Amino acid sequence: MSVTDKQRKKENRGAALQTWIARRSSRNRTLIDRICRRLIEKAVATDPERDFMRDPLIDNDPGFDPDELDRFQRGESV
Amino acid sequence: MPAPVPFDPEDVAAAKGKPRAAKPGIVTRKTICQTCDIACSVVSEVKNGRVVKVRSSDNPLFRDHICMKGIVAPKGYANPNRITRPLKRVGARGSGNWEEVSWDEAMSDIGVRLKAIIAEHGPEAWAVSTSQWNTGTDHGLGRRIMNHIGSPNWISGVALCAGNTAAVNRFTYGWFPLGDFGSTNCIVLMGHNPRRHSWTPIYSAVRKAQARGAKLIVMDPRKSSNAERADIWLPLKAGSDTAMMFGWLKVIFDEELYDKDFVETWTVGFDELKARVDEFPLDRVAELTGCDPDMIAAAARMYATSGPATIPWTPITDMQRNSTSGIRLQSILRAVCGYIDVPGGELLQGFHPDIIPESEIEMHHVLSEAQKMKQLGNQDHPAFTYRGQAAFREPMKRVWGYDYPNQVTGCYMANPSATFRAMAGKGPYPVKAFFFLGNNPMMSYANMPMIIDGMMNQHLIVAHEHFMTPSAQLADYVLPGDSWLERPWLSDGFGWMSTYRPSEQAMEPPGEAKSTFEFWKHIAAALDRADLVPWENLEAFYDYRLAATGQTFRQLSTETDVYLTVPKYRKYETTGFATPSGKVELKSSVLESLGFDPLPYFREDPPEDPDYPLKLFTGVREDGFFQTGHRHISEMRERHPEPVAFVSPGTAKRFHLEEDEWVAVENELGSISIMISIRDTMPDGLVRVPHGWWKPEMPQGIEGLSGARKYADAQLCRDDEDYLDREQGIPHLKGVPCRIRKLVETAPARADESALEVAK
Repeated sequence: MSVTDKQRKKENRGAALQTWIARRSSRNRTLIDRICRRLIEKAVATDPERDFMRDPLIDNDPGFDPDELDRFQRGESV
Repeated sequence: MPAPVPFDPEDVAAAKGKPRAAKPGIVTRKTICQTCDIACSVVSEVKNGRVVKVRSSDNPLFRDHICMKGIVAPKGYANPNRITRPLKRVGARGSGNWEEVSWDEAMSDIGVRLKAIIAEHGPEAWAVSTSQWNTGTDHGLGRRIMNHIGSPNWISGVALCAGNTAAVNRFTYGWFPLGDFGSTNCIVLMGHNPRRHSWTPIYSAVRKAQARGAKLIVMDPRKSSNAERADIWLPLKAGSDTAMMFGWLKVIFDEELYDKDFVETWTVGFDELKARVDEFPLDRVAELTGCDPDMIAAAARMYATSGPATIPWTPITDMQRNSTSGIRLQSILRAVCGYIDVPGGELLQGFHPDIIPESEIEMHHVLSEAQKMKQLGNQDHPAFTYRGQAAFREPMKRVWGYDYPNQVTGCYMANPSATFRAMAGKGPYPVKAFFFLGNNPMMSYANMPMIIDGMMNQHLIVAHEHFMTPSAQLADYVLPGDSWLERPWLSDGFGWMSTYRPSEQAMEPPGEAKSTFEFWKHIAAALDRADLVPWENLEAFYDYRLAATGQTFRQLSTETDVYLTVPKYRKYETTGFATPSGKVELKSSVLESLGFDPLPYFREDPPEDPDYPLKLFTGVREDGFFQTGHRHISEMRERHPEPVAFVSPGTAKRFHLEEDEWVAVENELGSISIMISIRDTMPDGLVRVPHGWWKPEMPQGIEGLSGARKYADAQLCRDDEDYLDREQGIPHLKGVPCRIRKLVETAPARADESALEVAK
């Protein structure tokens, strides 16, 4: 399986573009950054009916109350 | 076809893809979870100076990279039994009695005692064990100080988990690659079973790849959740992975499915390898693996023709008597099929050119050759020691720009078993000082009885920990470590990838808990070498490493949560491979020069022992725990209240076992108590035992070690020569002879909330 120069250029351009989009998306400040983020959001979006990452334990996690954590740390609650 | 993912519309809760509204009184910090070693990018929500919630990152690159262990972290680290002040042992070692001291008092005494040990026995008498999670990376500072002081005896759990893979991959093509899940057409999981709550990003990547049509091949003795979703599942015998890969190569070579251009141009040793592969006709492989030869051939064809494909890292081949050959065969499959450093294949990333890697911080070049050659275990099992990696120094410099690039911290280690033997007084020289950081070494390596002997034979043991683990219970000093919520971090994927991610400090550490950076800065000063850690604090240290980027750590972490470099493919066409020949060494010149078989081979199991008719597979990971941690968190213990061994219905019937029955699983090394769970997914004759069980609520001290002596799987992990990989000296944990003995004692009730209160 040999790789042509054309394929290599295409691969390299694709990698450079993807990296640029990921970099701008991660910065997320300017309009272009936000457009890049939107592109990635669309690219990684999953049909809800096939969303294998949905998990009630995670999705419904309420977090903790800071005062309760303080009491727990002092051994006043379990 | 892969099975569909079960879907319950009620499970779809928070809408995704939309900005999260700011909550009143909540400050957010971009953090990286270090509850396990996968290091997910997450967001920590802070209220009143305390992290009250850990949630998924807002960055779509990392969305949903979070698991149950991450979300419970704020409570886990708020546990009232967390160590927050330095503790000094009172009474005999393992007495379980402690007094609080200051950091200054502790460090003053530690410095005096460590210097005395070095003066009497030499610097090699000081050994350190750590891993790169829990109390976190030690930034290369531990190695840096040891290298200057003169000790080569650094060990880590990565010796049998990814670090050794990194070192062994070099024998073939001079670097440890990372699979390109985003573009791959085929994924091969060898016993590894990433799940929603275990190795979450890899689980997500595999599912996404399948969703866009990539093939999934799973080799696993049990019908794992990934096996259920695989295109091909090969239910091989535990420990026969190496034989299976020989079978794949036999098909690929016989049917000429390999990349002939690449093999001809970029490999050496093809004819010798082919001759070795010819020793494994499919009927022999079928006998060795227990799998149908047609399915073996079908899987081989799928891997070779669906490409580019990836064989992601797996812990399974890291922990077998044929580990070196197994890892070599993975790398050979990748190479001969033309999947190295191509999109969708296996990327050789190198380090980021703008950031000083931890390898440089470690300064391996200052350790003299004479001291390097004293590294424990390097004569019998040199693969990942200085001696075993010495031949790569020039090629690494030529290709990757560094003399000692230490991927996954696993490329210049002492052998753990040899180190513990020396600690126990049975080595070539004594080891008398042992430090460990977030590592619980007693339960993290093979042959726990010998580790205990070694620890009891020490003059000085220092632990840096969150909790009073069984290992910490044998220390002279237990110093309080901070958590990932309480410190900044600059993650480089353990030197495995060129991408960096900053993690912001989200809250202050409790009491006098300190980072590994501060720990080593104190140790350097205690050894009169404060110059070795000149940076004032962790952020200043990161600023130094980031200087070439033109940004400070704070600027970088404010601007982004990922610092990327543009990937380049087929870099070997310019630089060659980082091997002595500059090519992919199917026949390894380095292994040959070390006196080993330069080609992969397969050692069959020793003859069956009628006293131990079953095979033991240790290392089962429960979703709520990572390694030996998290047994103190009630939410996790409710999920896994007791250690549970999995057996098949056939095995249960043969040995008259019942569900939830307590039994002893034992072999020639030791015995553990465990509950039985009968699973349809298990093959007959195999017993799967979970890793790292102890109970923080049980009495501390040498006698019981908080249940470690009763439950810990490390008591069953042998490290005699029959059960060690020859080249690395790592133990065989996947298919060791064992038996199940029924216990007459009444089974204890499952743990309830009140039982989780730690015994004082």
